[in-house]
Amino acid sequence: MEREEILSAIYHCAKCKLCSIASFHPSEEWLPLCPSGEFYGYQAFYAPGKLEIFREILEGELSEPSEGLLKAVYSCTLCGACYEKCKQITSVEIRLPELFEELREEMVKKGWALNVHKDIAKKIKETRNAYGEKYKYEAESTDRNADVLYYIGCTARYRVPEIADAMLQIFDKFGIKYQVMDDEWCCGSVLLRTGQVEEAKELMEHNVEEIKRSGAKTVVFTCPGCLMTFEKNYPDMGVELVHSTQFLTRLKGMKVKKLDMEVAYHDPCHLGRDLGIYEEPRAVLKEVANVKEMKREREQAWCCGSGGGVKSAFDEFALWSAVERIKEAKEAGAEALVSACPFCKRNLREAAEKEGKGMKVYDVVELVNRSLEE
Amino acid sequence: MMKTNETQTFLKFVQAIVGEENATNDRAICASYSRDQHWHFVPAKNPAYVVRPANKEEVRKVLMLANKEKIPVIPYSTGINVRGLTIPVHKGSILLDLSRMNRIMEINPEMKTATVEPGVTFGMLLEKTMKYKLRPAFPDAPLTVSVLANYYLRGIYQTSAVDGHDHTLSYEMVLPNGEIIKTGSRSLSEMPYFRYGVGPDFTGLFCAHPGTCGVVTELTAKLYRLYDNRKVYFVGFDDVNTPTKFIYNLMNDELAASIRLVDNQSWLKGICGTFDYAYEKLPKFVLCMLVEGVDGIFEAKDKLVRSYIKESGGKVLEFPEEFKRTFEEESLGGAEKSSMVFGLRGNYHCIGLYGPLTLAAKYYDLHEKTALEVGIPKDHVHFYLNPIYNFHGQLCYFELDIFYDGSDLGFGEKLRNYNQKQFQRLLDLGIYGWFRPYAGIIEPTVDRIGYLGEVWKNFLKVLDPNKIMNRGKLF
Repeated sequence: MEREEILSAIYHCAKCKLCSIASFHPSEEWLPLCPSGEFYGYQAFYAPGKLEIFREILEGELSEPSEGLLKAVYSCTLCGACYEKCKQITSVEIRLPELFEELREEMVKKGWALNVHKDIAKKIKETRNAYGEKYKYEAESTDRNADVLYYIGCTARYRVPEIADAMLQIFDKFGIKYQVMDDEWCCGSVLLRTGQVEEAKELMEHNVEEIKRSGAKTVVFTCPGCLMTFEKNYPDMGVELVHSTQFLTRLKGMKVKKLDMEVAYHDPCHLGRDLGIYEEPRAVLKEVANVKEMKREREQAWCCGSGGGVKSAFDEFALWSAVERIKEAKEAGAEALVSACPFCKRNLREAAEKEGKGMKVYDVVELVNRSLEE
Repeated sequence: MMKTNETQTFLKFVQAIVGEENATNDRAICASYSRDQHWHFVPAKNPAYVVRPANKEEVRKVLMLANKEKIPVIPYSTGINVRGLTIPVHKGSILLDLSRMNRIMEINPEMKTATVEPGVTFGMLLEKTMKYKLRPAFPDAPLTVSVLANYYLRGIYQTSAVDGHDHTLSYEMVLPNGEIIKTGSRSLSEMPYFRYGVGPDFTGLFCAHPGTCGVVTELTAKLYRLYDNRKVYFVGFDDVNTPTKFIYNLMNDELAASIRLVDNQSWLKGICGTFDYAYEKLPKFVLCMLVEGVDGIFEAKDKLVRSYIKESGGKVLEFPEEFKRTFEEESLGGAEKSSMVFGLRGNYHCIGLYGPLTLAAKYYDLHEKTALEVGIPKDHVHFYLNPIYNFHGQLCYFELDIFYDGSDLGFGEKLRNYNQKQFQRLLDLGIYGWFRPYAGIIEPTVDRIGYLGEVWKNFLKVLDPNKIMNRGKLF
């Protein structure tokens, strides 16, 4: 974005702060939307305050990376709830998550990155995954010429492998031939979201090359962060990019046994607000469990708290945000909280364990896999 | 001006009062409070410290410390400020962010009152009062704004005309010297429900300054009934003058709970809740009315309203049910869609004022004339009026609006020219008073108030001899 474009967007914020709450009418309930604002409280942690910080940086007023600056800018999960709410009310397109990514890029250029984010970049450079793991997640292609390629992603490979396992088993149960990449590199999402744009370029080039070479026609993602990065930041590879839940809705003759389970669906920010995929996960989930609606859903879903590099940098806050979501699911009468994102699952599960009130956390594909009749 | 080591020492003292995490002089955190929507008039300025007290005692200690050190203090409630009122004037100021103080101390359904701290928003309050079929009086501002700060600033609202003015009953205010003043019956007992306690009406005396006299930590306000019986009408008119007789009748007979005359291109969109409608095909002005009441009275009121509509000279507009529902919500449930006006061109400027209904057409003509003179296009000029019960003096709230592109710096100059001319012209034409202490409005006004200005000045001297409170540009 050009400087003038950024400043123009900043000047269009009228500071009404309606972006910080879910639609009040007609439910007449006060439901916060901005996790970092709610947790930290200072204006700097809400969108209008962050815009002022960005303005001062562009105008040269802020010239030092103070502790408050780093915290305010990097504790935003880039969930986009503020943007959706503002757009819904005013129809003004102040693309807040993009602006906040620009802000981070600007800060990285000045050398104002968080050490923990720099460490992630280092790990990726060394191991090609965001967790610095040296072992390899075991997955084999069933057909090296298959039309379908499953891009697993770092989190499902190394932190919540049950999601990747479930997806692979679903392919097998349907008899779908698939490929996995022998040399899958991190998609670069975490680098791009934390302003380390240059560091992501090599990863993108590698993955593009590998996917082109595979000859696959469709790439399936269980990670919305990876999918969004491929959609938004990668060049057009001439292949179809789909989320697992979109892929599942296309499968004909899915014979599932509905589980006796009351669940709430948590919209992952990248899947919902960034990609507009709200219906497919719900459609799939409805087939396998009894779905309860939470108060904050779809465009106005409460973020789990882990995105945008927040989990690695501000874990206490990330877990607080996830606990808030778990409470909401419980209030809705759910015994399990189901998402469609490995990163959400990881944070929500950790929060559920911390909360200790027995809320189970799943990914949609896990429940589908479980309910598919052998 | 403090030296760096002195500011650090001062910060340590403040942190000892409110906790380390609740006071900062971090440059970036301070920058986030530097500007509001009125930045074409009030330039950005950072406070030196942001302090977030949790209770009255912490407020008191911080104020006493600031008073001792002669450091200016700017109280700030929930962070929605549109008139530069919490932007520091002086270097080295403390911004006292009161948003942590967000307790609803009491809702008393029998007394029909609510007692709140500064961080309570209209949305938070309504969520609780609805259980008792009660509501607060709403400003035409997003329901994210502070109840206490809005009532303390003026206390006259108009989205529901029937609420009248003077919603504030009593409050508790911490003065710079640490003394606590309780107004109205609150000064005598634990019953804060009556405005007129001992001596003069101090509740009113402290309200509506261009700045603040102290920090209000708790306020008791009236609540109003919510009725099940409701009916909404929209009637179109081609000019401002024609509906004034009709409005007079409605108010004189006390028939409608909410009455808003708006032009068809601005606030009407928020009232209806959508941009997607052929508003340009409607008559230029639309009178939006809401009738409510208990069984029997409601029907009788409605019958009379319909008879007045027939003789009003206006055209009844058949809007979708959804529009009616939105109008009810925006009038009696707190404004949310009204913020759609920010989407017209990205920012808005207004002069809000009180005056009699008889001057409605003159205010509108003057608005258009001055705007055109300074080069503001006609299609940027908007207007609305809301009458206020009881109709003594035919009290109305008028808003002279200009919706513009906030990123157009040249337009800011036009707006400043507009204000300079318009303040004087409105004072010449005659007004009851200003809604808010807009930048540049106090100087021409004080010139006209005679000895009252001297009294006011001395009053502030007694309350705040070290001039640490954010008193606006009055003295």
